[in-house]
Amino acid sequence: MFREEQPETGDLIQGTLEMLVLKALLRGPLHGYAVAEWIHETSQQLLKVEEGALYPALHRLELRGFLESRWGLSENNRRAKYYELTAEGTKRLNAESQRWTRLSAAVAFVLQAS
Amino acid sequence: MSPQWAEFSGKIKALFHKRSMDSEMAEELELHRVMMWEKLLRQGVSETQAEQAVARRFGNSGRWHERLREVRQFRGLENLLRDMQFSARLLRKSPGFTAVAVITLALGIGANTAIFSLINALLYKSLAAPNAQQLAVIGYIQGNGQPEYDFPYPYFQKLDARKDMFQSVFAFDSKVMQVKSAESNENVPGQLVSGEFFEALGTAPLTGRYLTPADDVEGGSPTGFAVVISEGFWTKWFHRGPEAIGSKLVIANVPFTIVGVMPKSFVGADPTQRPEIFVPLNADAIIAAPHNNIADGMHAWWLTVMAQMKPGDTLAHVNAGLESVSKAIQLASATDPELRHDAETQPFRFVAEPGSGGFAYARFVFRKPLMTMFAMCVGILVLACVNLASLLMARSAARERELATRLALGASRKRLVQQLLSESAMIALLGTLAGIALVPLVGLGLNSLAISDHSGNDHVQLAIGTDWRLLAFTAAVAMVATILIGLIPALQSTSGDLNQQIKTGQHAAQPRERKKLLPRVLMTFEVGLALVLVVGAGLLATSLVKLFHSGLGFDPQHLESISFRMDKQQLDGDALMRVYQQIGDGISHQPGVVSSSFQFIVPISGPGWNGRYNSPGGKPEILWLNAVGPKYFETMRIPIFQGREFTWNDTKASGMKITLNASAAKLLFGDRNPIGETVVASHDKTMYQVVAVVGDAKYRNPRKPAPAAAYVPLAQGDEEKPSYSAVVRVRGSAVPVAQAARELAAKYAPTIPAPVMLSMDDVINNTLFAERMLAWLSVFFAVCALLVTAIGLYGTLSYATARRTSEIGIRMALGAKRGRVVSLVFRENVVVAVTGAVAGLIAALLATKALASFLYETSPHDPWILSAAIAILICVASAASLLPAIRAARIEPITAIRYE
Repeated sequence: MFREEQPETGDLIQGTLEMLVLKALLRGPLHGYAVAEWIHETSQQLLKVEEGALYPALHRLELRGFLESRWGLSENNRRAKYYELTAEGTKRLNAESQRWTRLSAAVAFVLQAS
Repeated sequence: MSPQWAEFSGKIKALFHKRSMDSEMAEELELHRVMMWEKLLRQGVSETQAEQAVARRFGNSGRWHERLREVRQFRGLENLLRDMQFSARLLRKSPGFTAVAVITLALGIGANTAIFSLINALLYKSLAAPNAQQLAVIGYIQGNGQPEYDFPYPYFQKLDARKDMFQSVFAFDSKVMQVKSAESNENVPGQLVSGEFFEALGTAPLTGRYLTPADDVEGGSPTGFAVVISEGFWTKWFHRGPEAIGSKLVIANVPFTIVGVMPKSFVGADPTQRPEIFVPLNADAIIAAPHNNIADGMHAWWLTVMAQMKPGDTLAHVNAGLESVSKAIQLASATDPELRHDAETQPFRFVAEPGSGGFAYARFVFRKPLMTMFAMCVGILVLACVNLASLLMARSAARERELATRLALGASRKRLVQQLLSESAMIALLGTLAGIALVPLVGLGLNSLAISDHSGNDHVQLAIGTDWRLLAFTAAVAMVATILIGLIPALQSTSGDLNQQIKTGQHAAQPRERKKLLPRVLMTFEVGLALVLVVGAGLLATSLVKLFHSGLGFDPQHLESISFRMDKQQLDGDALMRVYQQIGDGISHQPGVVSSSFQFIVPISGPGWNGRYNSPGGKPEILWLNAVGPKYFETMRIPIFQGREFTWNDTKASGMKITLNASAAKLLFGDRNPIGETVVASHDKTMYQVVAVVGDAKYRNPRKPAPAAAYVPLAQGDEEKPSYSAVVRVRGSAVPVAQAARELAAKYAPTIPAPVMLSMDDVINNTLFAERMLAWLSVFFAVCALLVTAIGLYGTLSYATARRTSEIGIRMALGAKRGRVVSLVFRENVVVAVTGAVAGLIAALLATKALASFLYETSPHDPWILSAAIAILICVASAASLLPAIRAARIEPITAIRYE
């Protein structure tokens, strides 16, 4: 009898984005824009990260203790919020990427079945 | 730190750093925009185009901001807070509505909590003793009747000997004891307890030791009996001095040695008693002197027996064990042929019942009245809830357009219902708090009614405290109230067609929807419920009035009873009679004394004395007896139909005399003149000569007709060292008489405790305590019910009329007279009131049957009370409905239809 106000973003997409964000930060601290850029470039322009999804994901990861943030200077000399992976975050990334590998392999098997 | 915990604490932190977080978020997003813009510029896009592209991409930045903020919010909580603020604003805007709502609810919750705390204290609360959960109350069932709990010593002794069945068995008896102080003897509430009493309860003494089986032997230890005192007694008599332990306390003229002090929390195994001294059971011969309950064996039924079960044992197992030994114990205890005959022919068994709450006789007296009161309280609470529901419904009907608009703007129904519920939750919260604040007041009122049990003198003491059970109960009541109150109107006002609601609002063209039925049904229900409560109150109050005016056979007004306890002093027989005569003469010469006499049994106070008597050759009849002094009938204002009063010269030596009341004379002698005839006591064949016939008077129970009774002269009673009460009819204040009685007692019987004065009105009030309590509370509740119903009828009709303003305006513009308008509005409630009254009448006819056992000479279907209740209800309903109707008639057509 009640209808929900705002449908939440699907779990898979949100989870995948979080994994990509963690991966992006594996090489060192980045600010939000750089994270989006890195994913965009590394995926050979295939993945485009929406700002509306990116920042909530970053904040959520930070809230849960997978990321830490501090304020620093950006390449164009502005104050920027840099995100950094915590030990928890690294662990999480490993777990997530393993899960992803298994899942995509499984999907590939199914699709290749004759 | 786990992610969930980190998230939770992060959200908590976010609550306190809202502003700085917001600005940081803005800065972060701004950087992103700038970077994007710069990148576009680098790619050779013109500045304005880049600006537009970024704006397109970002859209409304407020939205992103909001979504980011949500990450760190407790969404439910923040919404709730916002709803609460909104509700508070709404409630403040209509203070009248809020006050009515909170007061009705507070009344319902307060009354429920107060009665429940009383019920809890009396019926359910556990004893404050470590072993309470292991305790069992032992009773016995003779024949096929109800369990009984007064044990003779031999039963206890033989149960105690069965060490295999229990951890321990213990017995106790509450007694007022005479303790010698510096001046004279004082009455102190105490208990006789068996050896294992303290160990079974398990409470450690404050100082010294408690009594053990070694103390409870015949004659006590070589130094006499030991005694344990309460902390209160220790403070009052010894100023908490350590020298109390080991010192002597003279109880009933015999020295006892104090061995320990029990802490304040310890009250023994009867939660309604506050014993201050505990003496061993074997000291009974001293305490009860000149009686001896232990020596009386199977003829004294005086002990309460309880047991401590073995760890892990169950009641079912204990009962099975008891069943197997019951018959053997009964047969072994049957010392005389009559008992033996009973034992051989009648079924008999011991039973164990849950005993964690100890044993209290008051429970049997007050369970039913308390439960009845509880039912009335629940009725009031339901009434308050229904009333609030209909008021809220009427109110949200008036807010229909606002709600419909909010729905149309995209608010979900869930959010709106949440918001409406938070409003009723707020009312419930305020109501509950106010109700809880009321509890001590109601409790005080109940306490001031001074509960007393059948014996008249022992006041039942209850620790009515707030405990978790009570709080849980109140919270549950509040929850139920909230849901009941809030849900119906909330669901109702958010359902239905948006378009319709936005269009109509309070305009004239409203269709008569089905929706209007529900509030009317609720109000009808309310009227019916109120009628049931009013009828109940009417019946109980009428019954009480009849009880007081039924004619007791004597005149209790300005009549005082002063009890002298002579059982522990030295004199007996004629010498004691002379003391009574001297005291009596002294009292009758006091100013303000109209006349005075003595009596053995104080009528209506509880105790009784009966026996079988016959006329020569007639069959034995049960007569209730009393030993009375000279001028007794004059003092009591009992009419003497024939013969004379007793005098001080009617002694044992002067020949046995008896006075019959009219019923007894008729029973024994029919229509013959009984004066000068002989009455024979069936048990010892003593012959009495009838000297007078007097009017019937109530004996023990004011609710029953006066029984056949007989009176014997004071000196011819069959008690040793009898304790008589002076009856004194006074003019004006009785205080100087009490003072004089104390002085006379000190002069003629210096060793007895100060005499206790009680007015006969108080004696009757105490005996009728349950009836009085029920009657007063039911009248109070009925008035509340009428008030609540009136408010409900008025409120709902006002709202309904407000919604019909334009319709009424149009009617008047078209020529409707004001009188017509009044009747138009008034009619709405007449239907409700009449239907409610009829439904309530049917319910009342069914429900009042439960009251029948409390009613005296009042039929539960008394037509006068029923019609009076309906008349009162209709009057109240009319008064409540007339105001909105008159207001409707004052509507100015022009103003009313301007908005059409």
